[in-house]
Amino acid sequence: MAQTINTAVTRTDAPRKVTGTATYAADVIPSGMLHGALATSSIAVGTLTGIDTKRAEAEPGVIAVFTHENLPDFKTVKGFYAGGPGSASFWPMEGNEIKYAGQPIAYVVAETAAAARRGSQLIDATYEVSEANAHMDAEDSFVIGASGDSKGMVTTKGDVSKGLAEAAQTIDVEYTTPFQHHNPMEMFSATAEWNGDKLTVWMPSQSVRTLRGGIAAAYGLPETSVRVICPFVGGAFGSKAGITPYAMLTIAASKAVAAPVRLIVTRPQMFTVATFRPESIQKFRLGADATGKLTAFEHIEISQTSQFDVVTNPGTHITRAMYASPNIHTEQRVARSDTNTGGFMRAPNEMQTFFGLEQAMDELALKVGVDPVEMRRVNDTKRHPVEDVPFSSRSLMECYDAVSDSFGWDQRSPEVGSMTDGDWLVGFGCATATYPTNILASNARVRMQGSGSAYIELAAHDVGTGSYTIFAQIAAARLGLPVEACDVVMGEADLPVAPLSGGSTTAASAGSAVHDACLRIGRAVAMEVTAQSEGPLAGVDPKLITLDNGVLRGPDGKSQPLLEALASTAAGEQEAVGEFRHPALTDKLIRATFAGGYGTAGPVTPEFAMFAFGAEMVEVHVNRWTHEIRVPRLHGAFAAGTILNRKTAHSQLMGGMVWGIGSALHEVTEVDKPRARYLNTNIAEYLVPVNADVREVRVEMLDEKDDYVNPLGVKGIGELGIVGTAAAIANAVHHATGKRLRKLPIRMSDLV
Amino acid sequence: MRNFAYHRPDTIAAAIDAARAEGAQVLAGGTTMVDLMKIGVFEPDALIDITALSELEGFEVGSDRIRFGALARMAEVGDDTKLSDAAPVLTEALWKAASPQLRHAARLGGNILQQTRCPYFRDTAYSQCNKRNPGSGCAALDGGETNLHAILGGSDACVAMYPGDWAQALVAFDAEVKTQGPGGSRTIPFADLHVLPGDTPEIETILKRGELVTGISVPVIPALKASHYLKARDRESYAFASASAAVGVEMEGENVRDARIAIGGVASVPWRAREAEEFLKDGPLTEETAREAGRIAFADARPLKGSEYKIKLGADVVAGALMTAKSRTTGGE
Ligand SMILES: Cc1cc2nc3c(=O)[nH]c(=O)nc-3n(C[C@H](O)[C@H](O)[C@H](O)COP(=O)(O)OP(=O)(O)OC[C@H]3O[C@@H](n4cnc5c(N)ncnc54)[C@H](O)[C@@H]3O)c2cc1C
Ligand code: SF4
Repeated sequence: MAQTINTAVTRTDAPRKVTGTATYAADVIPSGMLHGALATSSIAVGTLTGIDTKRAEAEPGVIAVFTHENLPDFKTVKGFYAGGPGSASFWPMEGNEIKYAGQPIAYVVAETAAAARRGSQLIDATYEVSEANAHMDAEDSFVIGASGDSKGMVTTKGDVSKGLAEAAQTIDVEYTTPFQHHNPMEMFSATAEWNGDKLTVWMPSQSVRTLRGGIAAAYGLPETSVRVICPFVGGAFGSKAGITPYAMLTIAASKAVAAPVRLIVTRPQMFTVATFRPESIQKFRLGADATGKLTAFEHIEISQTSQFDVVTNPGTHITRAMYASPNIHTEQRVARSDTNTGGFMRAPNEMQTFFGLEQAMDELALKVGVDPVEMRRVNDTKRHPVEDVPFSSRSLMECYDAVSDSFGWDQRSPEVGSMTDGDWLVGFGCATATYPTNILASNARVRMQGSGSAYIELAAHDVGTGSYTIFAQIAAARLGLPVEACDVVMGEADLPVAPLSGGSTTAASAGSAVHDACLRIGRAVAMEVTAQSEGPLAGVDPKLITLDNGVLRGPDGKSQPLLEALASTAAGEQEAVGEFRHPALTDKLIRATFAGGYGTAGPVTPEFAMFAFGAEMVEVHVNRWTHEIRVPRLHGAFAAGTILNRKTAHSQLMGGMVWGIGSALHEVTEVDKPRARYLNTNIAEYLVPVNADVREVRVEMLDEKDDYVNPLGVKGIGELGIVGTAAAIANAVHHATGKRLRKLPIRMSDLV
Repeated sequence: MRNFAYHRPDTIAAAIDAARAEGAQVLAGGTTMVDLMKIGVFEPDALIDITALSELEGFEVGSDRIRFGALARMAEVGDDTKLSDAAPVLTEALWKAASPQLRHAARLGGNILQQTRCPYFRDTAYSQCNKRNPGSGCAALDGGETNLHAILGGSDACVAMYPGDWAQALVAFDAEVKTQGPGGSRTIPFADLHVLPGDTPEIETILKRGELVTGISVPVIPALKASHYLKARDRESYAFASASAAVGVEMEGENVRDARIAIGGVASVPWRAREAEEFLKDGPLTEETAREAGRIAFADARPLKGSEYKIKLGADVVAGALMTAKSRTTGGE
């Protein structure tokens, strides 16, 4: 049997996707379905003093218009940062309060999508307008943790002032990062159908169990009365994790009109009805001795939050794990703004903070006069600098060495502005990437048949990453079957528990449960065949038998292919539910996951610190006439434990790096300050890289063995690629032009 | 989108007749029109689809004039090698516009009449926009984001920027627009087609109701051969210009005999920089004079808060474009 793990396997769902037969949530049309549309507030903060729905109701095809005054049985859930499954704690359409621009104020139901949308344009609202500020008030920032106090949000080790005083060189700098919106290709949607008190919801989601649990609890229904279905997701990146108002409004509207209703959120509305990457300030004070070794490390992050939630995505927990320093101080602060609540967007703790950290390291290296790669080398550490546990594996410098070779770092002339190519100034830059290995409980059911096929079932998701394929690969490798013979079923809340697809955990956690289910099948089959009167393993102690890539192996060289053994059992078929319960998972965490929450352990356990690492190098060109910034080359080398599928992993890392180009040079949600509204709520003006912006992107995946993280040795790679790219580009821009740009995105306008 | 009547007449006369009705608007490729209808900015009673008027299709590269039908597609014109040989600026300005899909759908008549991308104009949640809602004020000038606005040609009523690329090439090279309307046919210098916002930003062109653009033509002059369109933008493709320049030069020995310069991404209408052209004439074209020409082109600029950088950026783009154009003259390197 061919080794199916760590090989390049083409996505098993590719034919379905390219032929249009993959059924996404909004492709489902229950019979008698009506269409919903949202009307949203034109002001950011104030009171809805009047809402006139007459024109909308008169529009041909419109069936009902719901506002806070007349929507029956509208339920809400607690926000994520208050410990619930919701995207935010404040729920629109419960009353007449307006707390952010683009807040839903009415829900129109019509016979056609066009009539519903038109109806939503005909809602006449009047407001009493209050002053609003979409940007955070950084002057008024405060420290608060998830538990409502500052626990864990401040770290102090040694004495940073002393470390700075002793340093040969210091820097004291501040970096800013802007609002960003995920903009997945697949629009947000929700389709709801009630059948008595049974409810089915089709909705693109990163967590079908969060949805089901939250919706069932809100309506006081047993979970068995609620089905949530979403076999495919067209990109999520954190935006489809929680229960949003548009979902609950659709469910309530469907109940009210007694017909299935589907809502597809419009692109401009996608900027306001869900979460986003909050803006942030990253303050660094670093000191180093004459060799570059850090004597002091201080990082204070100020991150934006809404008036009604406290978003704590602790980026300082990641930065403090990077480099050795005797004196460390970190602080996680938040500041309020008149916006919806932000949340998770690919590498939510890492993208912003590493834009700061990895530029700060570059700035300090320049001051000290050491090569930027050497700067990382002298500060590399095998132990967590704060928690005093070793890393379970850490191959940062191996990554730097690999990428230096492929990129040709030795071709870099250190002096700023010293390299050119025709009309272009040339700069090289580098940065570290990392991503914590988060651990979540998971189950998975595997059914193997003597005819040579297997079914793998779990309530996980393929958000476009390739999960269908890697689960098939894991089962194929363990059971000794071809990948094509392993059918994976996901995206339904009724399936065995699997965690939310976020934090780069699906492959590691859910994959380990699939692995465990296969081993259990092996054990069950071994029990049966050893009890038989004849056969290669007859009479062997079943405890001595192991499953090794599809072969049951006993002592004295006795063995039998699993499939053959299975065929000889009474049922000719074996089913098992596998479990992944890492020792670091407490009962409380396991229960949280089973309840649809995010019960994560790690990245630091009492024994180890678990992180994936990478190093990125980039060549940037800046045109001397147009000042345009282009990225002809971007190389990355990554070490993230076992790579399950070299093709889909490559795509994930490359996709992250490409998004990193966007973060660096393109992406920003522009704000109209006087009215606290977003301005570029379309994908023509919300810039992301187009093909022409992405030239040579090279991804190298190093071999790394880590027995601690999980039985497969897998660390997450979904978010690793984006971390550090923006800093590498900023460092290269500085190398090319001498301009140090401490804000994102970096634009032509900064270089004229 | 508001409901509307849809007509697709097959003669120009019938199209004019339908288009002159109150509340009627012309539809070509629809990439501006349908976009603005979807977001509720345009709410026509009737759309007069002119794409059945096959006599308005195609284009012809003649020895004295280059003639374009109003329905020629941006893509077919932008990809034409004969045209790019004769007049690189005319293909480059199309090729660098929008995206391949949009260029296949969009027609030249619609292209020159495209609407501003002012975000306040495009979002009906803003009550203040003199262009969309005359007399209501201008949200851009009321402390809003002005990075996307004009630094040349704006008024106290409106600072919307004309976002198109191709129009810069047309205005630089004395193009003419042919029209047919209820009052008959006429030929309009392209430079006169668009009007400055002044107190009436809702009036954008001198076209009368029911008047169709039927064609566009450009006289062939030596500077057209050594021409160039340089577009500066934050991403490599599918972005409007932050600043652009359509230029052409004709040299006589070491000196400039004719220079054409128009600038985009910075002005309220397609903008010819005549003083900069005059400055270059009869003198050498060097990096230094090119840069000076760029500065002159922006001498009257009135930047808004946040768009100051456009003055330097625009000047540098003009200079860079001129250096490329010079390299395209016979004897240029
Ligand atoms: C996302 C996006 C990005 C873009 N990027 C760029 C860019 O980078 N550079 C650029 O230059 N352009 C860009 N454009 C604009 C695009 O080029 C125009 O939308 C397009 O050229 C319009 O042509 P159309 O045939 O689709 O016109 P339509 O949308 O059909 O019409 C546009 C206007 O012209 C009128 N009209 C059309 N034909 C005639 C006629 N013959 N006589 C009288 N009136 C007429 C219509 O009534 C309407 O008011 C972009 C557009 C979009 C949507
Ligand atoms: S600049 Fe012009 S188009 Fe924009 S808001 Fe002001 S008046 Fe309207």
